[in-house]
Amino acid sequence: MSAAAQIAVKDLKLRVRDRSAFIFGIVAPLVLAFVFNLVFGSVFDATGLGLEYGMVDLDRSEISQRFGAVLEEVEADGVLTIENYANEASAERAIEDDEIDAYYLIEDGFGEGVVTFAAPTIRVVGDIDAPTSTQIAASIAQQFSIGVEATQLAITTTAIATSSQITPQFVNSLSGDPSSAAFSYQLEDVSAATKQLDGTTYFSAAMAIFFLFFTVQFGVLGLLEEERDGTLARLRAAPIGRLSVVGGKAILAFLLGVISMTTLVVATSVPFLLNADWGAPLGVALLVVAGVLSAVGIMGLVASAAKTPEGAGNLGAIIAVVLGMLGGVFFPLGQGDDLLSKLTLLTPHAWFMRGLADLADAAPWTAALPATGALLVFAGVTGSIGLVLLRRRLER
Amino acid sequence: MRVLAIGASNIRRMLRERSNIFFVFIFPIGIILLIGAQFGGGLDPAVGHFAVDDGQIARNVVSEIEAIDGIDVFPYETEDDLLSAVELGDVQAGVFLPADMDQRARQGEVVSIGFVSRPDGFGPQLQSIVGSAVADVMKPVGAAQFTSAETEIPFEQALAVASGIADNNNGIEVEVSALGEALFPDTLGQFDMGAAQQLVLFVFLTALAGSAALILTRQLGISQRMLSTPTSIGTIVVGESVGRFGVAMVQGLYIMVLTFFIFRVNWGDPVGALLILVTFSAVGAGAGILLGATFKNDQQASGIGVMLSIGLAALGGSMLPLELFGPTMQKVAHLTPHAWALDAFAELVRRDGTTVDILLELGVLSLYAVVLLVLAGWRLRVAITRH
Repeated sequence: MSAAAQIAVKDLKLRVRDRSAFIFGIVAPLVLAFVFNLVFGSVFDATGLGLEYGMVDLDRSEISQRFGAVLEEVEADGVLTIENYANEASAERAIEDDEIDAYYLIEDGFGEGVVTFAAPTIRVVGDIDAPTSTQIAASIAQQFSIGVEATQLAITTTAIATSSQITPQFVNSLSGDPSSAAFSYQLEDVSAATKQLDGTTYFSAAMAIFFLFFTVQFGVLGLLEEERDGTLARLRAAPIGRLSVVGGKAILAFLLGVISMTTLVVATSVPFLLNADWGAPLGVALLVVAGVLSAVGIMGLVASAAKTPEGAGNLGAIIAVVLGMLGGVFFPLGQGDDLLSKLTLLTPHAWFMRGLADLADAAPWTAALPATGALLVFAGVTGSIGLVLLRRRLER
Repeated sequence: MRVLAIGASNIRRMLRERSNIFFVFIFPIGIILLIGAQFGGGLDPAVGHFAVDDGQIARNVVSEIEAIDGIDVFPYETEDDLLSAVELGDVQAGVFLPADMDQRARQGEVVSIGFVSRPDGFGPQLQSIVGSAVADVMKPVGAAQFTSAETEIPFEQALAVASGIADNNNGIEVEVSALGEALFPDTLGQFDMGAAQQLVLFVFLTALAGSAALILTRQLGISQRMLSTPTSIGTIVVGESVGRFGVAMVQGLYIMVLTFFIFRVNWGDPVGALLILVTFSAVGAGAGILLGATFKNDQQASGIGVMLSIGLAALGGSMLPLELFGPTMQKVAHLTPHAWALDAFAELVRRDGTTVDILLELGVLSLYAVVLLVLAGWRLRVAITRH
């Protein structure tokens, strides 16, 4: 066995005994992926938002009941629940008792107001602790208003075209249903056509790549620890090439990274647990290897710049957190043309996530090649600078 | 006095470490700034559109979308270009107009407009903004379709009439108010609740990160040396607690004061806000010491610390507002001190509450603090004397 491999195996045994790498490499990302999925899962699925609304219909007209029917349709989709209340006082009590987030108040004369084009009001009264749910309630009412406007416009246009007065008789004389004017188009959400990671896979991958940088640090920092503890001098006295010493640490860092990432990919893919869908195995393997190499390169560069293992650990933590943040591990930063979205591309995290998104929707493994290439560039550039600096340091 | 000396040396040690300066003082402010910019304006979300049809109706839809305030709009040449721009996050959403849009509308058919958004970020909001711009153009089209079917007047002519009067129809007014108040307060600053969420996240994170310093104190034999002086074990335990508590308070006060002056964050009643910070910092200190006394290896402790502080923050509503949690998750959330602290801040900020209104939350936080500090003190006593 070569000297580099022997050094790597010795360090691997040390790290396994120490258990820290196990915590950073497997336990923390797995637990956090699970927690994030639990907390944010509802956002990816509108039915999990728990929207609970009330309805106080004091008008009981055909139009107010039509609004009620619209709400019941949305309720049937499972997006919200709607409860009828006889009066405002009982709906207010329901808000105070946290039974509903907001209620609609339709006052007497509402239907008459719509027919006479008097712009009547739907009031949305919300719990002050539920601003988002209240806003969603209001936007449903606004959608209904757009339909009413289209209907009114259809009636008015027909009246003008036939030089008629708008009277109930005129409206009744129309052969078609003017509310059909609201359905001249549909805005269809076709997001399913895009290749994007589902929420579970996104969080699993984000946590894996975030903690990867801490995990490989355990390998890279070993060199500085040997220097601090004086064992490096002994290694240098042995008939071992400088490159083998650095290489041994790099191999260990690579091994730790690959073991951690592979475990996470497999563990998060288990059905019934997280059931993440990472995509074509060969493509994922390429991204994992390239991603680990880029982390080893960057952390190697950090180690070469630091004086002590503690200093390198702290600097490494800063770099890992900032790169993770910019790379969109916690929330996405890409915003069109601006500076931030350019900065995002300077992080391996963003390329790793992008590569996985390219693999989504059963794409072939080759879809991961561009992102893999970008990750290898990171690895090559930072790794070779780090290697030169570390070798120079060993020669001193 | 000794207690304070140990506490003060803890704070000094934290401030001397340059990476702590970054994590405790620079990083949280950067996050608050980023989140405020993302969700409160500042950065405009980008929307792309793809339109091959150069008919009048299609062009009107495009120019109506381009006229929306607060979003940046970019044209795309092909459908695939726009799709991949959404996938890559270059734009947050894309609008696809069909090729034969004008023709279909003229024939009275339903026009299907495609909308694509990213699962994260602004999807639903953008859909409703884009939807109402599209509706402004398509309302007269629908009316013209109806009129032309009803009266046999040519579509073009009916469309001209409908477009001319489109703005005269008021539909329905939608008025939003908060229970017991005239209007739903729009003035909840873009940073307000976000700042409270970040405050509890980072104060707890820093407090748990302190566990590594506590382990180093033992590893370096500082605790032993303190014991060899006429300092009782109780003094050391209390001193360490004061130190961790002080570090949390320094960071919390720093975030509060700076965000108040720079971003005009409203923290509500100052006495109430301070009491939340004091009790929550005590909870953080207790948890940090418990962690530091339980583990012998500082790297293990910091790994567990990062995991616990990010995980509890997510569960406790620091990353997603508690109102969006389902009933079961609400109960789970209130197992964390974070949720209680955030409830208390919400009471101060949204309802202009005072200390009296948050007594329950303060009580729960104090209970957490007492239990954790007692446990931590006991474990630390064991850890120091074991050596």
